[in-house]
Amino acid sequence: MTAPALSSLRAGEDLDPLTRTVDQAQIDAYAEASGDFNPIHVNPDFALAVGLPGTIAHGLLEMGILADAISRWAGGSQTLQSLECRFSKPLVAGDGITCTGKVVAVDDGEKTATLEVEATSSRGERVLTNGRAIVRLSQ
Amino acid sequence: MPDQSHVGRRYSAPGQVIDGQRAAQMAAAIAGSDPVAEPGAVPPTFAAVYCLAPTLGQLFGDPEVGINLAGLIHGEQTFEWPVPVRPGDVVDSTAEIVSVEEKRGMTFVGLTVESIRPADGAVVCRGRDLMIIRGGAGS
Repeated sequence: MTAPALSSLRAGEDLDPLTRTVDQAQIDAYAEASGDFNPIHVNPDFALAVGLPGTIAHGLLEMGILADAISRWAGGSQTLQSLECRFSKPLVAGDGITCTGKVVAVDDGEKTATLEVEATSSRGERVLTNGRAIVRLSQ
Repeated sequence: MPDQSHVGRRYSAPGQVIDGQRAAQMAAAIAGSDPVAEPGAVPPTFAAVYCLAPTLGQLFGDPEVGINLAGLIHGEQTFEWPVPVRPGDVVDSTAEIVSVEEKRGMTFVGLTVESIRPADGAVVCRGRDLMIIRGGAGS
């Protein structure tokens, strides 16, 4: 974990980017863990039949990867106070997802930092947009 | 299909036990081929299991609302975690429909969700969801 020196965190600082390739095995594992076995996630024939290029990741799996990226950068998942995003485009099984972000505000009184965050697929599509996170700063 | 008359409808799922084993399963599914950063921690988006699934599951099965699950898309998600949740915690989860709008032949259903730990009254998660249902009224 490469936590930034939160006491010296400044607006403009980048989140350490995180890239993962999300294959069908990972989507299946997430379906098991979440209990969401919607066929668009786990049944390739069904996904093709409804016009998708293949099965797609659960939005909340993508959001979980985004939360993981922020948590690893900030020094732990308990630092994450809030996270929001829009599921703009589907992430197709086998594609990569890259999470990026930037600190846009540091509140010394509340001891929090606000980040704008997003995720892009290896197809070049912005899959998670309008992302915003607040992390608690230690000290 | 959902309409204005459904605004204010609430779904309650008391007594949700935070299952540490299942939380670990989700952490592994999110990490994919990476090692889990914090073994034993509950991933923030485990709220999908203790907050969203038991409440929104009731909404999706509510015959009086009649959501067409085949056209259902998760549009946006906001989570706040005022206090971290721990394995073994028991929480009461609720969801409420706060808006229903028809736009471009689609139905947008806005919800607020919340999980409270009755042992100490702590809000462990609150959130907002936007669900989009393709094939709204008139299409």
